[in-house]
Amino acid sequence: MTAATLPVWWDSAADGPVNMAADELLADEAERRGGLVVRIYDWTTTTVSLGAFQPLAEAEACRSIAGLPLVRRPSGGGAIIHGSDLTYAAAVPKAHPWGGSPQALYDALHRSMATVLGEMGVEARLHAPSAADPPADAFLCFARRSPGDLVASPAGQAPSPNDPKIMGSAQRRLGTAVLQHGSLLLSANRSVGPAARHDGLAELVSGDPTPLPESGCWDTRAIVDRWLELAGEPLGMAGEFQPEPFQSGREAAIELRAARFRDPRWTGRR
Amino acid sequence: MAADLKFAKTHEWIRPEADGLATVGVSAYAVEALTDLVFMQLPPVGKKVKAGESIGEIESVKAVSDLYAPVSGEIVEVNTALPGRLETLGQDPYGAGWIVRIRPDAPAEMENLMDQSAYEALVKS
Repeated sequence: MTAATLPVWWDSAADGPVNMAADELLADEAERRGGLVVRIYDWTTTTVSLGAFQPLAEAEACRSIAGLPLVRRPSGGGAIIHGSDLTYAAAVPKAHPWGGSPQALYDALHRSMATVLGEMGVEARLHAPSAADPPADAFLCFARRSPGDLVASPAGQAPSPNDPKIMGSAQRRLGTAVLQHGSLLLSANRSVGPAARHDGLAELVSGDPTPLPESGCWDTRAIVDRWLELAGEPLGMAGEFQPEPFQSGREAAIELRAARFRDPRWTGRR
Repeated sequence: MAADLKFAKTHEWIRPEADGLATVGVSAYAVEALTDLVFMQLPPVGKKVKAGESIGEIESVKAVSDLYAPVSGEIVEVNTALPGRLETLGQDPYGAGWIVRIRPDAPAEMENLMDQSAYEALVKS
């Protein structure tokens, strides 16, 4: 039996408003195709994305990110400092098996990434709530813990409730589709002050004699290939990278939507 | 769940009232699926909406969801106590957890919505 296609776009760097606009259109694409679609992308410069309802004042009070471009996501969750992470957007129609409850899509993509990281020698697992959890409303996504977040143990150490969060995701549940934003922290972001910096995969495996990264760079393409292979398996889908960027042919529609994300009223809505 | 409720596919319920207004809320199923609610934004009184348009947003730990108007009309009252007591949505979704009251443009529009048994079948499917 031939596996159905799981379309994946790997886009070049764009600014925050364009990325957010493209992701909204990705949700439309999921609806049009009737299944899971994924976009992997980068940022033109280190950028902070705020959760849909995070108070702007909290970002302005965080001195470690002062001066960085800021965009407000349509999805929930805490602020993410993009630039040393693997950013993805995934979307499914609400009628999809992973569209019914927020946890379904969240767990499906996090579990498969935990397996990939395990194959790379990183002991990663879905977070189970514990008394040691930091405040649920911490400003930065990677300072929060919620059920299903991906946490990982530093090389050579036994799993601990204080293990760092390595991947987080949050959703926007639209009328007929679900858009999920997520971030896998590849390394600590040196563009921001220490108070806003969190260890990533590179820091977790340092000291490990057989880490996958070469010269400090992760083979992110290999990670994504394997991740989507595993994620698509239960759906009978095989990831297929699209030859053209997602933006191709959608430039006007993206720019139209990006205007909302550039609008200070959107950024300052709370 | 009361028999006089009608449901939208997007999980809002609506109840016609004796004064011609209609009360709107979110189903217990939707509240449970969202888990751990943290923030809610309500519409302003006087806002005119069409059926299917967003009347607010609700955020849980994992997701932000739009709340949709089940029918067209004017928002005449909002439950301003709700954002400060989001637990009410889970404790009493069809009573104290009401969200807005609408003056429907066309009460017959409610006939397009699901009754309780149809909605239960939807969420079980």
